[in-house]
Amino acid sequence: MGELGALKAELHTLQEKALAEFTKAENLNALQALRVSYLGKKGALTDVLKGVGKLPAAERPVIGKEVNAVKTALAEGLSACEGSLAVLEKQRRIQSERLDVSLSGRQSACGSLHPVQQGLDEITAIFSQMGFEIAQGPEVEDEFHNFDALNIPPEHPARAMHDTFFVKDTDDAAMLLRTHTSPVQIRTMKRLLEEEHALPLAVVAPGRVYRCDYDVTHSPMFHQVEVFKVGEDISLAHLKGVLQHFLSTYFEKDVSLRLRPHYFPFTEPSAEVDVGCVFCAGKGCRICKGSGWLEVLGSGMVHPNVLKSVGIDSTVYSGFAFGLGVERLVMLKHSIPDLRLFFENDVRFLRRMGA
Amino acid sequence: MKLSYSWIQEYADFKVSATQLSDDLVRLGHEVESVELPREAVKGVRVGQILSMIPHPNADKLKLLSIDINEAEPLAIVCGANNMGEGDKIPVATVGTLLPNGLKIKKGKIRGEVSFGMCCSEEELGLAEKALGLLILPTDAPVGAEVGEYLQLEEAVFDISITPNRGDCMSARGLARDLAADAGLSWLEPELKSLDEDACMAVSLIACEAEDDCPLYMVRRIEGLEVDEAPFWMKQRLLAAGQRSVNGVVDVLNYIMLDMGQPMHAFDADTLKGDVCVRGAKEGEDFAALDGRVLKLHAGDLVIADAEKVAALAGIMGSEATGVSEKTTNILLESAYFRPASISTTRRQYAMVSEASMRFERGVDPAMVAVAMQRASALLLTCFGGTASAVKVLGDVDAWLKPRKFTCDIAHLESRLGVAIPASLDDVLRRMGFDLERNEGQLHVSVPTHRPDVSIAEDMSEEYARVIGFDAIPAELPELPTIQPMKKDTSVQDAVRQGFVQIINYAFISRQEQRLFSNQDQQDIVLENPISDAMCVMRHSLFPGLLNTAKYNLNRQQAGVSLVEHGRIYSKCEGRYHEDNILAWLMTGELLTPHWYAASRDADFYDMKGTVETWLSARGLTARFITDDEVLGLQAGQTAKILVGKTVLGHVGKVDGDLAASFDLDKAVFVASLNLDLLPKAKSAKFVALAEFPAVERDLVFLFDQKIHADDVLQAVRKPAGSLLMGVYVFDRYDGQGVPEDQVSLGLRMRLQHPKRTLTQEDSDQVMQAVIETMQTRFGAVLRG
Repeated sequence: MGELGALKAELHTLQEKALAEFTKAENLNALQALRVSYLGKKGALTDVLKGVGKLPAAERPVIGKEVNAVKTALAEGLSACEGSLAVLEKQRRIQSERLDVSLSGRQSACGSLHPVQQGLDEITAIFSQMGFEIAQGPEVEDEFHNFDALNIPPEHPARAMHDTFFVKDTDDAAMLLRTHTSPVQIRTMKRLLEEEHALPLAVVAPGRVYRCDYDVTHSPMFHQVEVFKVGEDISLAHLKGVLQHFLSTYFEKDVSLRLRPHYFPFTEPSAEVDVGCVFCAGKGCRICKGSGWLEVLGSGMVHPNVLKSVGIDSTVYSGFAFGLGVERLVMLKHSIPDLRLFFENDVRFLRRMGA
Repeated sequence: MKLSYSWIQEYADFKVSATQLSDDLVRLGHEVESVELPREAVKGVRVGQILSMIPHPNADKLKLLSIDINEAEPLAIVCGANNMGEGDKIPVATVGTLLPNGLKIKKGKIRGEVSFGMCCSEEELGLAEKALGLLILPTDAPVGAEVGEYLQLEEAVFDISITPNRGDCMSARGLARDLAADAGLSWLEPELKSLDEDACMAVSLIACEAEDDCPLYMVRRIEGLEVDEAPFWMKQRLLAAGQRSVNGVVDVLNYIMLDMGQPMHAFDADTLKGDVCVRGAKEGEDFAALDGRVLKLHAGDLVIADAEKVAALAGIMGSEATGVSEKTTNILLESAYFRPASISTTRRQYAMVSEASMRFERGVDPAMVAVAMQRASALLLTCFGGTASAVKVLGDVDAWLKPRKFTCDIAHLESRLGVAIPASLDDVLRRMGFDLERNEGQLHVSVPTHRPDVSIAEDMSEEYARVIGFDAIPAELPELPTIQPMKKDTSVQDAVRQGFVQIINYAFISRQEQRLFSNQDQQDIVLENPISDAMCVMRHSLFPGLLNTAKYNLNRQQAGVSLVEHGRIYSKCEGRYHEDNILAWLMTGELLTPHWYAASRDADFYDMKGTVETWLSARGLTARFITDDEVLGLQAGQTAKILVGKTVLGHVGKVDGDLAASFDLDKAVFVASLNLDLLPKAKSAKFVALAEFPAVERDLVFLFDQKIHADDVLQAVRKPAGSLLMGVYVFDRYDGQGVPEDQVSLGLRMRLQHPKRTLTQEDSDQVMQAVIETMQTRFGAVLRG
């Protein structure tokens, strides 16, 4: 065997050895090291090539071809091993990065909106979307706006039924904590008329009200929403239409409505409004005390004396008004059993009810 | 007001069930609170007679009874009572009976002996609050009969809530009139018997000096009464109506009141001295009322008085001394119409309520004054004997019997109801007492005397609505304007999004709590009639409420709370009342419970301040926080006022430790409050072109005097840094090892950018040099490493 044969054999052995080593490489780094050790400037293949110089010139191209073939074979071998090693390495990495996904995530503290606030917002939004303007008024009110202007003169029996908180040491007009949101009717009508707002007007007035009554079913402070509309030819039928729309929207189902004649000094006719019990669908249950109905609000056609007190001609214009208790509606909607929960402010309750 | 069905049936032949009648009442506007069925409630309880009684072999306190209930075999019953004997008649609840207290009677074994029912007390039958033993029935009670029937228990009793405008319905007669008119039943008015009057009997001179408040006053003397108990049937009806039996005369007058709606009063004539007079009270005059109270009257209170004393606060309550007792033989009987407003004002002044005043202040029917007098007299004479004088009448009776008349436009009524009003409905109102006539679209109304509440067209619209039925009125949506919906106030929502729990507290607090954060006691709005001292003054601050809520929750195993409240504060200044909208926060204790990924951390000043900053930035606002050591209740050095522009919007700070401890709060408590009414209006955002060239971040670390305010440093950076400075903040603060005492190391990170080109190293080096020089000259700061 001549020099050529020996070189060929050497190349062959080198290729065999290299390919075998490639497949044994445990990772890409090891493979890279092998690439350098065989194909690098100072690699094994270069070493072999050093022997080429000793060959006769005619044989050189032969061995050159051989060398190129080995190079290609090694490159292919490398690339194949690289591919499978990359897959393997990725798998290994994925394996090493496995998490206990059942551990709780990093949560940012979550707050909660008070259920009464949610109720106020929902109710106000329904009316706002129907075209009622939002209005507000003071909670420390005078007797005129809370009573007189609403057709409740001083000796009126209804005045005593309001359980009014009075303010001490008032200078002239007696001041009180408003017992209902109805005074906002008076203030708003007066203001809008002064601003030369043309009739008709439609207003929704949410707010806090106060009654000196404190027991299981009464809170000395609670929330009401007053809704009223004044214009030409406003009728009891319109009142029913608006109530039907509102209550069905609020309770998210078609509720049945019952109006019962009642008495409020500021409306004539007046009606208490019941909805078909949302718990038993009117069959009678503990919540509706077997009646199938739940009283939800008081309503009526604005009394001509009330319109007169703000300078609206009751022979031309009429209006409806109603006031609803927010806590009551929220309790019904969310099956909250006890009014007192709202003002105890137990964060466990508030978080559970919070949106 | 409670009233039995049988009583209402006296006035018309009602045949409907109690449930139906209850529905009718509701439809007509008379709210029915409940319907009791006393007879039904004791169904199955029968009259039994004790045939034999022997001791229970296995129990000392029990007895074995054999009871005849008129069945084939006597019942064996084990009983624990001891007030009965052989031969006694008693109520026996038979097997299957459901008693009013919810007890279901079953066949049972008591200590080895079988028992087929239960002997009942009045308590168990629902006839009394408390009973000591069995109800022993009269000897003539028929054995085997239903006890409910034998005792004539009412079939149905309605508890009705009469609205203040319908005084006319505070009686059986009044309610029956509404119901009968609606049902179209004929009216049964009891015959009014004439009396043999003793024309010679003298009535001590009665004069009325207060005709305004007492326009009608009728009085008569009855002599020779033998006061006994009222008849059984009457007492039963009064009992069902919730009226305690007092004595025969009082019971008869109460009966007349509940029957006809006219309150009456009887004086023991022998206790009256000299002439009797209806007059205004003298200021300070004493009155010893029937309820045991002694009042100092005010001038103008309407009273009935004799020559020496006040005998009654007219229409409200009689005096203790002149009341009728079992020993009374001669009475002075009063029937009157008092001005409603006068009764209302007086009774409220003394916080008195009586069945009489409730009717007078709603307005009684002037037409009934004489009728009631006649009927009450007849009943008294029938029950207790005696002779009656003629009736003395003060006032112009005829003037009060004239009906009120007015005219209204039928189209106007219809437009208010949104439905047509057929003439056929007029008959229903006529049966209610209205005189109606239709003429060319006009309705001429003549209002009966019992309806003082009806005086204008709108009142008639209600009467028609009642008889049409509110259910028959259609539901229609009115035309509603399309308006710009108001921008939603997201104050609370934003705070909630930052992790806070919204609370709502009462707006009134105690005086002590008020003084914790406000010394402006002259601005307090104090309640005249608070629920309690703890709720007597309108708050100047939301902090007391927040602290109470924190206390409440930390007492319930919360390791920390982050609370927010949105509400008003109230003050009075020079006679003017102010209300401000406030948003207030409180943080204390653990912000987060410890987790696998992080340790727990307690809230500190910067958590609270950061909350406010974030909240403001959502509104496009940046505030300055300036040390304020003068805020009541907050700790100096950890409190800042919050400024936007030149306006102080509120404060943020640490609650004084002792103050917090008084709320049982051990850990540091931080609060903040903003006056939302002072908040500048949020501007809508304007577009600014995004920078095209890269920004450079450069850090400088200096040693400053320990007392340095970071804000001063940051402000001072701006000038030397010039227009290239996009932002600067403190990225590091350190005063530990390696930093000399009295000094602090602050790391400033500056972001530099040129709008038109890429910054060069030279550009930023220049800026850094300028900043370093300024820090050295202004603050004596030393650049570190």
